[in-house]
Parts: sequence; structure tokens; C-alpha cells
Amino acid sequence: MAVAFSLSGRAGSHPVPLAWRSLTAHKWRLVRSSAGIGFAVLLMLMQLGFQQAFFDAALQVLRGLDGDIFLQSIHKYQFATQAPFSYGLLTTAKNVPGVASARPLYADWYNLFWKNPRDGKVYLVRGFAFEPDKPVFLFPEVNDQRDKLAADGVVLVDRRGRRFLGMNRDISQTEINGVKVEIAGKFALGPDFVSDGTVIMSGRTFASLLHGTLGNPPGVALGVIKLAAGADPSAVQRELRKALPATIAVLTKAQLLAFERAFQADVSSAGPIFAIGTIVGFVVGLLISYQITFTEISDLLPQYATLKAIGYPTVFLLRVVLEQAALNGVAGWIPAVLLSLGLYRLIGQIALLPMQMSLGIIFVSLGLTVGMCLLSAVIAVGRVVRADPAEVF
Amino acid sequence: MTVALAWRILTYDKGRTALALLGILMAILLVFIQLGLFFAVPQGGMLLYDHMRFDLLLVSDQYEYQAQPGAFPLSRLTAMRNSPDVVAATPLYFAVEKWKSGKDGLWPDLFMIGFDPASDVLTPPSITSQRAALVKPDTILVDSTTRPMFGQIEAGRVVQIDDRKETIGGSYVLGTGFMGLGVALLSEANFSRLLPRRGLGMVNLGAIRLKPGVDPERVAAELQKSTGPDTRIFTRPELTAHETSYWTTRTSVGLIFGSGLLISIVVGIMIVNQIVSTQVSRQLPQFATLKAIGYGNGALAATVTTMSLSIATAGFGPALAAAALLYNEIRQQTLLPVTLSLGHTAWVLAASLVMAVVSAVLAMSGLRRADPADVF
Repeated sequence: MAVAFSLSGRAGSHPVPLAWRSLTAHKWRLVRSSAGIGFAVLLMLMQLGFQQAFFDAALQVLRGLDGDIFLQSIHKYQFATQAPFSYGLLTTAKNVPGVASARPLYADWYNLFWKNPRDGKVYLVRGFAFEPDKPVFLFPEVNDQRDKLAADGVVLVDRRGRRFLGMNRDISQTEINGVKVEIAGKFALGPDFVSDGTVIMSGRTFASLLHGTLGNPPGVALGVIKLAAGADPSAVQRELRKALPATIAVLTKAQLLAFERAFQADVSSAGPIFAIGTIVGFVVGLLISYQITFTEISDLLPQYATLKAIGYPTVFLLRVVLEQAALNGVAGWIPAVLLSLGLYRLIGQIALLPMQMSLGIIFVSLGLTVGMCLLSAVIAVGRVVRADPAEVF
Repeated sequence: MTVALAWRILTYDKGRTALALLGILMAILLVFIQLGLFFAVPQGGMLLYDHMRFDLLLVSDQYEYQAQPGAFPLSRLTAMRNSPDVVAATPLYFAVEKWKSGKDGLWPDLFMIGFDPASDVLTPPSITSQRAALVKPDTILVDSTTRPMFGQIEAGRVVQIDDRKETIGGSYVLGTGFMGLGVALLSEANFSRLLPRRGLGMVNLGAIRLKPGVDPERVAAELQKSTGPDTRIFTRPELTAHETSYWTTRTSVGLIFGSGLLISIVVGIMIVNQIVSTQVSRQLPQFATLKAIGYGNGALAATVTTMSLSIATAGFGPALAAAALLYNEIRQQTLLPVTLSLGHTAWVLAASLVMAVVSAVLAMSGLRRADPADVF
């Protein structure tokens, strides 16, 4: 039963790793306590992962655009809405000093109906289009295959589109809006919370699918501007604002992303839902960790009292308890992070969500874990402070 | 003896038991939240149907879910009126247009529902009581949960939708569900005036009411035979099943909250197990003594299970109360119809008891170590 205290050194000068020793004294108890804390941490990790995946899914197309400055209608309140502007404004933008290129991105979320070539069922999909000689995406798979798009009626499809679309299958042709299209290749993007799958094509194919071959040229969803080498972004942004009508918003990439993120955070329920989940995970972890620390302190009370009796100050014991609580937290956190890596991968593949471990999640979860363990230790530590050597034996 | 003993152990150390109760309360609350959200999403998808009067629903064969239903010719619906079992067949029309009077010059998308105000097809009292406003020309009713981005929703305000001026006649209480950020109701006449190219020839939903006492399933089968294969008829239970399965399997919702639910239950088991096994190890000498005087392992196991079940049952009441408060908060924050139904409560109670039993079983390994010879 006795914990192997080795007090060969004096307090302060050559500290014995007491916290570590008492943590590892009962191997089985350590397994159980780290399992308890670990599951609370896992709960927080899943919630944090979902929250991040939600925003990543909403932002990944915008992040994947190859531009420094972007033009869009001021009426656009989110990326996934139709508010096109005329192509002519890109020519105006191109003539502004410091602009190297001004390219169109065409997009539609509500009018392209994809037929699953396997079962003939029709589904709404998202479509993006650009001029094949003026690429706008950073996605290497799309850029490598853009030459194929030059021919009319050719599309690339998202192999990470939802399964019922059949885009992940080995397919060569199907219909979009009842018009035959050839599937020349694939890329990996994945659905977001608006669209189930994505088709990418040339501006000409896009126009003919939406308006027929004799229809008007499509409006531009987003103008993608690249700066000439050495140009000052904010100066060019100012010049573009002057050159373009007031109905066009001129945004840097950071501003464009911030605008979309603010919309998603404001309007969607994802923020509060996952925040509630994380908070509950924290409180649960707090309780579990309190139980653990409380039990440990109760069991080690004679040892603590002994240390007090031989002259160790209370502050020293407090430090041992807090250290041990933090170690308990880390002992639960490490397996939880490892397990969540597997779960992220699994859920990411099944739900087609961009679930990814990020530095942000690592730091936030570690902070929350250590925080909850320290907090619970502070609540539980009163007993050590009161431990009276004379009473213990 | 098991109940009395379990009671004694639990009340012996009140502080510890209070902590245990708090722990189990949180675990149950966690299950409540995940389950609530899990069911809230399909409920959000059912919002319009739950406020519609119909026995059968006629839809296009392209029907995906309520807000993406496809369209079919009006004549298909009017043909239904010839059936002797049908009392009424009412069309509903959907369209999405730009609300060009948003805050800061934004043009949010407005989901519009066109219907005959005299038909009673939409049941909320705030709609039926405002029929007079709906029949005025170029007047709309706006859902009260329409987002602030649309600007002030007040009667008398004139707004521009697409290229037409419309007057807000008032607001109604139903909820926007997954129809969009803003929803408005229009009479059929106003709907077709606002969307002349859309017209009223293609219907999105056909609400069919049957004579009292007729079997909806029989009539549905008959009507399905008479109408073409390009339309489909749902009974209410079929529709509920379809919408629920859409939201839980076709979107990530089922997986997200399903996995949350699973982890909550595991965490709950961990908490209860921790509580019970601590009690077991603390009372080990006493348990060993009981063994020594002849009580079998079974009796001791029953005591542990009783302890576990009583903690879970005691924690359930406060958890239910906390869940009611939290649901209210979630409802306001997310506009999702998170409601504390009897069904959910029963499910959570069942989950809590399962958690308790599993934890007790896990704690019994400690009990077997209770060897009378070792203790003294």
C-alpha cells in the first residue's frame, strides 16, 4: 500500500518528483483515472473538431481561390448566394495600375441538377466555372485537368461529393439540367452544409447548361484579382474602389474570409451548439477530475501529514497536489488526442467533413484539460491544508 | 437487505453522495443535450408539416425534402378532388427571391410560400387570424424568426422583393426551419403577381384532406394508382419517416449528434462507475465481513447495482429540470425546435438506467476481491 516516497533530497534544493511518484504508484488506478478524464477530453475534442470542420467546410472554396483581391456585389451576404455582376467590370479592374490579372469565377448553388448516372436520380449540386486559360483555383487537381475543360460539355466532379450523387464512382458521362455532359476527371473537395457535391467546368459550358447555347453570358460571382509584383495591396484596393461602381465590394482575401466566417458564425447554429457541447465536456471533466483528486488526496493523507510533520511547508504540498492534478489531466489528454485522431479520420470519411487536428484544437483542448484538472484540484486541496500530523495516526 | 444496505452506504458519506449526484446529473444532462439536438434537426425539417392540415401529401417524384420538393402540374392535384374520399386538395407554392431591403444594402434570400388564405391549410392561429392582411394586394406576412439581416419586420413597412414593392402586413409564429433565413407567406394572387413567370401552374406541395373515418393508407394506394408515376403520395407517418431519414442519414447531422450521444453515454458510464467503485473499495472491509457471515456474491452484487440505480434515479430529476432550462436556451440561441417531449425523457431515463447497470457490472470486479481473510 505504501507509496514509494524517497526523501533523499531536501525540499526545494533537490526536489523529489513526488507528483510523478504518487501518480504512477497505482498503475491500475492511473489507467482508470486517465480513462475517465480522457473521455471527457474526447468529448471536448469531438465538439471542437466538429465546430472547426463546419467552418472549414464553409470556407474551403474561398480559401482555395488563387487571388489577392476579390470583387463581389455589395448585396452578397454569403458566398452561396446568387448576386452576379457583369463581366465588363473585370476589364475596368484589369486596367487599374498594380493589377496583374482580373479573372471571373462563375458559381451557382440552386439551378444545376445533376443526374446520378447509376440510378438516374436527379439532385441539386453546386457548380463552379472559370475560363480554362485563366485558372482561379489553387487546387492542383483542378489546375492539372483544366485543359480538358476547354471542350464544350466537359466537367470535373467531386469524388468527395455525397455518395448518393454517384460522383465517387467510375463514371464517364451523365446529364446536368437534362443536357449530356462528359466527365473528364475528378477532384476532392467535399460537401458543405449547403451543397452535397460540386461540379467544375468552363464558363461556356456553365452558360449553356444554365441558359442554353444561345443564352446570355453568365454574370460573375466573384472577381479574382492578382497583383503585379511589388504592388501595394491596400493602394490597389483603394484604386479599385475608385474605378469601380459603388455596387461592387473590393475585399482582400482576409476580408473575404472574415466576411464569410462572420456570416456563418452569426446565422448558423453551429457555433452555439458545439460551444455548449464543449462546455458540458469541461464540466463533466471537472467533476471526474475532482473525484480522482479527492480520492487520491484521501488515500495519501497520512503521507502528506508525515511530510508536514517532518517540516515540509504546506505550499510544497499544494504544489505536489496541483502538479499531480495537471499530470492526471495530461495522462488523460494524450490518449484522448490519439483516439480522436482516429475518430476524426473515420468521421471525416463517413460524413465527408474536413475533420482535422489543428494546432488550435491541440492548444485549446490541452488548456481546457489542464484548466479543469487544476480547478478541481484547487477545490479538493483543502484537506491537505488541514491535514494534521497528530490526527492521522 | 440489499436496498437498506445500499441506502446506508449512500447516506453514510453525504458529501461524497452529493458529489456523485452532481456527476450523474451532468452525465444525464449531456445525454439530454445530444439527444435533443439529434431529434431537433429532423423536427426543424418537419416544422411546416407540423403546422399544416392534411391527411395525404401529393408531391413530385423529384421530392427530396420539404424545402426542395420539386414541382408537378396543378391538374394532378385538382384531379384528386374527384375522389369521393377527398374533402379538399390545396396547392402550396414555393419560391426563393431576393429581399432587396436588407440591412446595410444586403439582399438576403427570402423563402416564399404561396397558398389560398381561405383554405385553412396552415394552422397557426397567428396566420388564420391575419387572413384579412393576406388578401390585400401586394401584402405579405413574415415569419417572426426571420433573421435581423432582413431589417425591422413591422406591419406597414414597404420592402422590395425582386423588382416589386410589397407591404409587410404583419408577422406570424411558425419558424423558418430549414427553409431559409427568412420566410414569408403570400396569397396565391399576390404570389403570381410577384412571380409572373413562375405562375400557379406548377405546384410544390398538394395537401389532401380526407373525409373523417376513411383509411388514409387505402386512399393513398388508390390515388397513387390513378395519378402518374411522376407524382408520389405520402401518408403522414410515411412523410415523417421520409423527412427524419433525410435529415439523419443524408446530411452529417445524424453522425455528428449520434457520435456525441455515444460518447455522452460512455462518459456517463465512466462517472457512475467511478462513483460506485470508489464506494466499493472504501467499504471493502464491510463487504468482506458480510461475505464472512454468509452473504453470497449475488447479494453483494445486488447491493452495488441498487446503489448505482438509486444514484442514477436520484440524479435524473434534477437533470430533467436542468435540461428543460438548457433546451430553452438552445432554442433561443439556435432557433432549432429542441423540445423536451415525453418520448425523449423516456429514452434518456432508459439510457441513464443502462449506464447505471453497466457501471455497476464494471464495479463488481472490485467486489470479488473482497476476501474476508485479507481484510483483517
